[in-house]
Amino acid sequence: MTELQRDKTFESSGVGGTLKIVLHDVSGTLLRTLGTIERRGYDYRDVHCTQRVDGDFDLLVRIEDIGGPRNLDILCKQLERLYNVVSAEKVGRRKRAERA
Amino acid sequence: MTTATQFTKQQTEVFENRDPKTGALLLLEAIEAQGVDIIFGYPGGAIMPVYDVLPRTSLTHILCRHEQGCGMAAIGYARATGKVGTALATSGPGATNLVTAIADAYLDSVPVVFITGQVPSDLMGTDAFQEVDIVGITMPIVKHSYIARDPADLPGMVAEAYFIAAEGRPGPVLIDLPKDVANAVTTERHRWRPYPKVKPEMGQSQDIAAAEALMRAAKKPLFYIGGGIAQGDGVTELRELVERTQIPVVSTLKGLGSLPSDHPNYLGMLGMHGLRAANYAVQECDLLIVAGARFDDRATGKLDTFAPEAKVIHMDIDIAEINKLRAVNVGLDGSLKKNLAALDPFDGGAAPNISDWTELCYSRRAMHEWDYDAPGEFVYAPKLLHDLSRRAPDSAIFTCDVGQHQMWVAQHCYFDDPKDHITSGGLGTMGFGIPAGLGAKLGTPDRTVITVTGDGSIMMNIQELATLNRYNIPLKIVLLDNSVLGMVRQWQEVFFDKNYSETTLDDNPDFALLARAFQIDAFTVNTRDEVDAGIDRLLSTDGPVLMHVKIDPGENVWPLVPPGRSNADMMER
Repeated sequence: MTELQRDKTFESSGVGGTLKIVLHDVSGTLLRTLGTIERRGYDYRDVHCTQRVDGDFDLLVRIEDIGGPRNLDILCKQLERLYNVVSAEKVGRRKRAERA
Repeated sequence: MTTATQFTKQQTEVFENRDPKTGALLLLEAIEAQGVDIIFGYPGGAIMPVYDVLPRTSLTHILCRHEQGCGMAAIGYARATGKVGTALATSGPGATNLVTAIADAYLDSVPVVFITGQVPSDLMGTDAFQEVDIVGITMPIVKHSYIARDPADLPGMVAEAYFIAAEGRPGPVLIDLPKDVANAVTTERHRWRPYPKVKPEMGQSQDIAAAEALMRAAKKPLFYIGGGIAQGDGVTELRELVERTQIPVVSTLKGLGSLPSDHPNYLGMLGMHGLRAANYAVQECDLLIVAGARFDDRATGKLDTFAPEAKVIHMDIDIAEINKLRAVNVGLDGSLKKNLAALDPFDGGAAPNISDWTELCYSRRAMHEWDYDAPGEFVYAPKLLHDLSRRAPDSAIFTCDVGQHQMWVAQHCYFDDPKDHITSGGLGTMGFGIPAGLGAKLGTPDRTVITVTGDGSIMMNIQELATLNRYNIPLKIVLLDNSVLGMVRQWQEVFFDKNYSETTLDDNPDFALLARAFQIDAFTVNTRDEVDAGIDRLLSTDGPVLMHVKIDPGENVWPLVPPGRSNADMMER
């Protein structure tokens, strides 16, 4: 870890979670999507991508912010603004009652 | 993932047995089909197949003297005309020289299609001569981008690129064209499916009603308008809404001209170099009606102190801007034009019970009127710009560079249409003014176009004087020369204990002589009593002309909100 990264400015402010993003099978879309997440101030903790039967891709990313004012709802809208991104949504933990 | 084309084959229709054409010709014909008349470009190795067929088209090509100039000319053209601009360059350094212009178009939401040559497909990824991954380099600063893999894709790709550049929130689109694809001959044409991501028309009716309820409840409402007004074609609707409601208005740098500078409801520009009346109004309002603005840090100052008592209505075509930096009470995404037209909170009348508020706002505006009777012997740049903009024809367009002169233009020039003011607002690109000015002039040949620049900025793209001369483009350039990097020097004076590190430009060339070397008519104004005659000569010269004005190195831009501080903390001279 560099000196800069140890600075409290870069400490996570606690905004994180898992996003499910559906992508068309088009060159560059995956890179554009992952780049947008990183540029908007998030680090990856896990990335998982699988192709669906309709040819689109399901991208599951677990992310954590790198500090500053962050909002996952806005990130989802920024992702949905990209061409060939079909949808982006937060995947929340289900409540116990729902699981029951 | 699929790499053969940008769209999977099942999403296209294939037409065979068409006239055999090269990818280069298909590209240019597709550009023509978009109604493009002018492209700004610079040839080189990988883009040569395109230049080879260029004379077979109706396109007018403007050869700038640097690819950055091409890109910024395309931006100026797009911003002056409202059309999509087009810039063309070769691979490698040609492409990277476009990057600043691409970023500028991205930050200011300008619709431009950038086309770059690329090394042949089989050499891509081999570090070939003049190979860079321009699609990768520019991915963060484009709205969308393509690598052409099949010449038959080009008609559809180009049509979609122009559509994407202009739809919704505009922005730059890049097409990277490998040389073998440009050279390849095909009898196929691929028709691409129409892109489905068309933006919503306007906010839902219940949101309009909620916004109107907030407007009815407000005692101190204020419009905060930005560049989205012009880009969303909402100028008329904004003016009608302001006339109806009689609510005061502040503007961002990009919103200038959306209301005429002398409109009775207009308080001025807000933000770091905003007017006192505007900044105080924002700090004290109880309802901020944001239209086509994005809470940029230069406008807001320290964000959590910005409009601290206000509820917020935010209208923007880009839903990702709403709630991004400031939580809003009502968000209206979709067409700004239609949302502005739909708002009618007072049944066609004015907002009642806000007279105390408006009197306070307008009395402050009067109290802080500019004083153009400055002491000293140097030419006073704010007065020169004030006089120039009022003596220029009504339809004159001003482009400018970046620095102190940019803020003086914003503060002191008169604008009655947002397309009259073309400035690099988001990226703040020195070197923008002259190429943007030549692009604007070529796009609007019947209008007077004036570029205001500084002695730092002009040197960043001074080679474009050769373009002005080559095509005899009658751009009028006002060079405000204080022989320093004025804005940086001002910050060194105010925030860095007058440690003037590397901001002195006392070894500048003789700019008038330099312009004449490019065969541009040029003259120098040294004293105040030469200003009137200088403006006369500038405005009456038929061809390109440069007026070099010596100004006071110590003159600064006021007011100034220190970075990271509240807009209430304005510093004065």
